[in-house]
Amino acid sequence: MEIRIRGVSKYYYSEGKAIKALDGVDLDIPAKRIFTLLGPSGCGKTTLLRCIVGLEMPDTGEISIGGDVVWSKDRNISVPPEKRGLGMVFQTYAIWPHMNVFDNVAYPLQVRGVPRDAIRRSVEKTLRFVQLEGFEKRPATKLSGGQQQRVALARALVAEPKVILFDEPLSNLDAKLREETRKELRAFLAKLKITAVYVTHDRVEALALSDSIAIMRAGRIVEIGTPQKIYFNADHRFVADFIGRANLVKSTVRAAENGFTIVDSGLGRIVCQHRDLPVGAEATLCIRPEFIRIVRGEQQAGRNLVNGSIESLVFVGEAYEAEIRVGEERLLARIDPEAQLAEGDAISFTLDPAHCLLVAI
Amino acid sequence: MAPARSKLTYLLIAIVGALTVCPVLMLVLGSFSEGLTAFGDFTVDKYVEAYTDPAFLEVMFNTTLFVLGSSTLSTTLAIFLAYLNTRTDIPFKFLFGILSIIPMMIPHLLFSVSWALLLNPSNGLLNLGLMQAFSLEHAPFNVYSLWGMILVEGLLDLPIAYLIIAPAMGSFDVTLEESSRVAGASSWRTLFRVTLPVLRPAILAAFILGVVRSLASFAVPQVIGIPGRVHVLATHLYEMIATGFATDYGKAAAVGMSVLAASVTLIVVYRALTAESEKYVTISSRGFRPTVVELGRAKAPLFGAVALLSFILIVLPVAVLLYTSLVPYSMVPSARAFSMMDLRHWISVLADPISLLALKNSLFLAVAGATLGVFLSIFVAYVIVKVKSRASGVLESLSYLSFSFPGIVIGVGFMWFFVQTPLYATIWALLLGYIATYLPYGIRPMSSAFIQIHSHLEESSLVCGASPMTTMRRIIVPLLIPGIVSGWILMASMFVRELTLSVVLSRPGTEVLAVQILRFAEDGLWGRLSALGIVMILISTTLVVMATLVGARFKTV
Repeated sequence: MEIRIRGVSKYYYSEGKAIKALDGVDLDIPAKRIFTLLGPSGCGKTTLLRCIVGLEMPDTGEISIGGDVVWSKDRNISVPPEKRGLGMVFQTYAIWPHMNVFDNVAYPLQVRGVPRDAIRRSVEKTLRFVQLEGFEKRPATKLSGGQQQRVALARALVAEPKVILFDEPLSNLDAKLREETRKELRAFLAKLKITAVYVTHDRVEALALSDSIAIMRAGRIVEIGTPQKIYFNADHRFVADFIGRANLVKSTVRAAENGFTIVDSGLGRIVCQHRDLPVGAEATLCIRPEFIRIVRGEQQAGRNLVNGSIESLVFVGEAYEAEIRVGEERLLARIDPEAQLAEGDAISFTLDPAHCLLVAI
Repeated sequence: MAPARSKLTYLLIAIVGALTVCPVLMLVLGSFSEGLTAFGDFTVDKYVEAYTDPAFLEVMFNTTLFVLGSSTLSTTLAIFLAYLNTRTDIPFKFLFGILSIIPMMIPHLLFSVSWALLLNPSNGLLNLGLMQAFSLEHAPFNVYSLWGMILVEGLLDLPIAYLIIAPAMGSFDVTLEESSRVAGASSWRTLFRVTLPVLRPAILAAFILGVVRSLASFAVPQVIGIPGRVHVLATHLYEMIATGFATDYGKAAAVGMSVLAASVTLIVVYRALTAESEKYVTISSRGFRPTVVELGRAKAPLFGAVALLSFILIVLPVAVLLYTSLVPYSMVPSARAFSMMDLRHWISVLADPISLLALKNSLFLAVAGATLGVFLSIFVAYVIVKVKSRASGVLESLSYLSFSFPGIVIGVGFMWFFVQTPLYATIWALLLGYIATYLPYGIRPMSSAFIQIHSHLEESSLVCGASPMTTMRRIIVPLLIPGIVSGWILMASMFVRELTLSVVLSRPGTEVLAVQILRFAEDGLWGRLSALGIVMILISTTLVVMATLVGARFKTV
């Protein structure tokens, strides 16, 4: 079920000053997709999620879930969270410590007055789905972090909610477990075909899990798109910088030809992906470190061929991280770990125009 | 929701404010007034009278020595024990846990009495024994002295100091020490240059709490100080209101004001220090065990010291009381003594109407007081933890204020108050006084119970489709039960043995156990005292054991 958010703002008052946690957010979350709200901490993503689920009340605007208005300031509609029929996985999992696994998962059905037999069957089915069969009688807090996370997921799923919401569900797990759980979650969600809203500050998590990503900043939505679009083809400098490591170089548009935009920059003349920008406009050239291709020795001039020298070289296992100096610019590059290079070497590198993106300043 | 919450906050501020500020206000008014019942004209005569009293200088001198001496003793012993338990391979570590909860079981009054029974110069059991053994003409020890008071009070405050210092030492980041060792410092040097300085806030906090408690202590000065004519502020104050022909509540209030001021100031410092020590000692999330110092040859003597201390703190008082309750008069344990044992003291206590009334009153106060106190604590703790507003901050400060009230001083304040009301000399006066003075002990376990209930637990129930009422019934209340039970038992066990407030507020007809025991002590009826004391220990031990069992049962979930 799709979620429509219109003009939602939320203010907090702290020491007499109003802080805009959400600033006129308009958003359509499509049905049966995994939709991620991504942004740095304090950008309002969790507040937005809590407004959708009904734990916070916005100060303006309207929210509807699957056509039903659940919140409207103007029409004075406010459906409490328990009447919205959603499922949510909390950052802390919020597993009730005084109940065992079965009771935790059965709870949403029990409070809806579902007959006992039906509850048992549903809980069994859901626990099988999250691969926790046979854990029914265990005290829920005695489980490992990953298992608790799956109990929380089962509890959110058991009543077959219209929408399932995740508030940074992996941030309490250690790095290795987080990766495994992320894959599991991806598999579960792919099977479910459910509308999911996922909040995270972890860009890898967002890229790996989502069908589409909305990047938020200071209470506003900056850009929405598929993971590929956001990573390779962002429109905003903030987004390009936030979603992955990027070299940002100031540049000026010189021409547009053959479906490319050509700019002058500290790296010289660079052919970039096409952007509708007038000649003479200022833009930021964004190059990801993994797309800098090293060519040995000094080379003749060619398209997007740049000469520079290696300022520093750090071995990080799967690659070298090199700082390449070109005139006044310093670029971060990832280089093949078998490359025979040393600090101070003069090198050349090429840039694929498809990976040279121009973003607004 | 929001207006209802702030209404609740203001209601609680009014109730807790009335309970805690009222006696203080009355004390202030009383100290400037002529007589007990009528406030009359404003006068500073009472202050002049109280502070120019020639005896006052000596009282101040004794108090200072008593308070600093006992706090130093308790803190030093606590550091020693905490270090042994948390950092060395000393055997039988469970003893330390028992040592730390003993003050809950053996009331200060009875502990003091047992030392008087052991070491009093005329027929103290230990003195008699030593005199027989070495054919001495005089008793070698006299507990009825300032040194005796310091010893007993120091031992009594040891467990509380231990409870502050041991966790700080246990969670101490060992790498701080290890880096000192790597830098070339010896074990001892590291202890004095790194370990103890880092633990300074916790140690200072323990010391200050010791000062506050010994300043408020009444049992030790009354039982041990008075027979030796050593007066400290608490007993000086008590004499003004309880003995002689002209009781002078105004003068007592005037003296009480300075005790109260000192105590409140110290508690403010203490709270700042504990906040500081929590900042200092970071508990690492990686849960490493501090490296254990091997004691080697020192193990046996050090363990001997700990065992002796445990014996003195736990076994000796109870054994002495039990023995005294069974023998007809003071005598060294011998075959003859054991052959003369009978139940005469027990029978006379159980036939004594006043003792029975005291028992009944104490049980009523424990049950009713703890129930009401916990009920109030639930709401106060809820507002303090869950409602974050300026008003809830005020409530928090108010509710912890009474933590710093010396019982006897605040008793005088309550006296001024209750005299104006029909509650005077009724059991309800005691009930209100108990709840007001011991409220922090109910609020603390309730607050930690509420802190445990992360807001997500509540919210997740709402999202699951449960109404706020269902959420209250199925999630919040079940999670609060351990806090409610332990708060109730803590309060009840304190009320069973309450002495300092009762000694001021209790009147004929409203005797309580501790006051009755004190009367027996004043009359030298040691046998009956011991019998009644054992009854009291049994009640409070049962409560503490119940609390431990409940705690253990709920710890697993």
